Amino acid sequence: MSNNSTSVQEKWPQGKRCAVVITFDFNDIQGILSQVPAVAGREKTLSVWRYGTLRGIDRILAMLAEKNLRSSWVVPGIVADDHPQKITQIARAGHELATSGYEFAKFDDLSLEEQVSSLQRGQAALKAYTGEQPRGFRIPAGNWAPGFADALSEAGIDWSSSWRGDDLPYFQPTSTGEQSQLVELPMHYELEDEPYFAFNLSPAVPPAQSRIASYRHTLGNMKMDFDGFYRFGLCYVLRLHPEVIGTAGRIGMLAELLDYITSKPDVWVATAGEVADWWRQTQPQNEASHPAQIWQQHTQNGVQP
Amino acid sequence: MTISNAASLWPHGKKGCMALAFDLDGPTGDAMLNGTLWHKPEYFTFGGYGPYRALARLLDLLDDYQLPATFFVPAWVVENWPKQCQAIVERGHEVAYHGYRHESFFAIDAQQQRWVMEKSREIFWQYLGIRAEGFRTPSGDWHIDTPSILIEAGVTYSSSMRGDDRPYLIQVPGHEKPLVEIPGRWEMDDYASIAYTREPNFPSGLDRTASYELTLDNWCREFDGAMNEGLSLTTLFHPKITGKPGRIMLLDQFFTHLRSREDVWFARCREVAQWWLEEHSDVK
Repeated sequence: MSNNSTSVQEKWPQGKRCAVVITFDFNDIQGILSQVPAVAGREKTLSVWRYGTLRGIDRILAMLAEKNLRSSWVVPGIVADDHPQKITQIARAGHELATSGYEFAKFDDLSLEEQVSSLQRGQAALKAYTGEQPRGFRIPAGNWAPGFADALSEAGIDWSSSWRGDDLPYFQPTSTGEQSQLVELPMHYELEDEPYFAFNLSPAVPPAQSRIASYRHTLGNMKMDFDGFYRFGLCYVLRLHPEVIGTAGRIGMLAELLDYITSKPDVWVATAGEVADWWRQTQPQNEASHPAQIWQQHTQNGVQP
Repeated sequence: MTISNAASLWPHGKKGCMALAFDLDGPTGDAMLNGTLWHKPEYFTFGGYGPYRALARLLDLLDDYQLPATFFVPAWVVENWPKQCQAIVERGHEVAYHGYRHESFFAIDAQQQRWVMEKSREIFWQYLGIRAEGFRTPSGDWHIDTPSILIEAGVTYSSSMRGDDRPYLIQVPGHEKPLVEIPGRWEMDDYASIAYTREPNFPSGLDRTASYELTLDNWCREFDGAMNEGLSLTTLFHPKITGKPGRIMLLDQFFTHLRSREDVWFARCREVAQWWLEEHSDVK
């Protein structure tokens, strides 16, 4: 094979080849309530999602501590207010906390002003328990309104992990076209646990009652995904959920994946905030043909017809 | 009698024919056509990844294996990522028509289909300097008028159907020259195994993403089966799906398997169509 498709981007600190960011969305029942409103008041169903708070988080934190790895946790303000002791537990263990706004709303249903208000209340809720203003944001569900990325920067948010379109970080375009300080750490469905494992019988999650995926094959996929990110020197952003991956049967799968990743000497496992800081300080603004710029170009004068 | 018992159908006595093909859809498709895309930056960027990031990696991998390919590209993608699409041509691959914004030809009338083909011809000429010979129908079926509209637009072959495992000719009323059809198979569409998106949901019931290892096994079996019987096989792979880092690893293994056979003619779809028209107009 020639060197063509194995060329590595030299983008990471201290000669590291590849960045890995482990993120957890701690949504308790809010995540499923927004996806499937019909679950409201159904205790058996809700207990599937409460499990993460009751058992999953402790198990995940213990495993990460054992491996000396830090991660980034995205939490809606309402969940922080419902489970403050979990927030302080995560923060004391040295992990980063980021917000997804207050109510875990589908953002399409909110006006820009409501989105900004949710963001600010979400930040305040976390700060009340950690003493620190969160610097990261992930959209809970749906899509934000034009202008929201500017509001994120104004609110002191340094990174977002809400869009797709790349396997390296990039900058969220500003509506004025000025230099952006807001780093996007894009997501990938194949690096998320929900598409493989989330399940409830009734109301059905996923909607077609798909079989739960094979653990062994899912681990195989995620390892092969990592091999690709490592080969090209990219930024591998895992998106996990305590109620999904934090079970007694699945935690071993995550441990095996993380052991595989950290068996390479030149992998930089960092929090989202650390990767975003590095990117902002060392990397140029997006190329004109970046999907985020093409998006901006087509929507800058309002949404297309 | 199966073809495997007859003399080779392919040039240089090769036993089978592999015509790798990719649909470089970018963010085009239903959501762009119905306008919902313009409220969904997350989904737009998911699509834009194909031409912006995945394509270059894929072209490198094809170079590594010296494999020729055909890229079916909606003209909107050419307009928005011209440099990236020019690279396909410069690297020796074929670019062919795939609608302007990935329109379903079944759903639009003859006049609209003509407009899409004219617009695509203009854009391909302006940005790529080419007149494409091939067409793959986007989003489902084509219309009863489509074959004659394609011929009038200078198209000589289509790769749209599913119901055969070798090329065949489509006679078009009012036209002397037939259209060559190079049928694809759902089994060789990466969407059927490993694509996943939410809002819009794909698959519609959010079924699980298949194992890469088992998907590779499926694809290798399809390839071996078709080559063993002396047939032709094409793929419906999408750079935004199969050009992602983990899936490039999968393609790398698949390409190794393809290159392990000496008895295969690797060709662009237009060469397959030309060959079939010249040599096998009589094969049923």
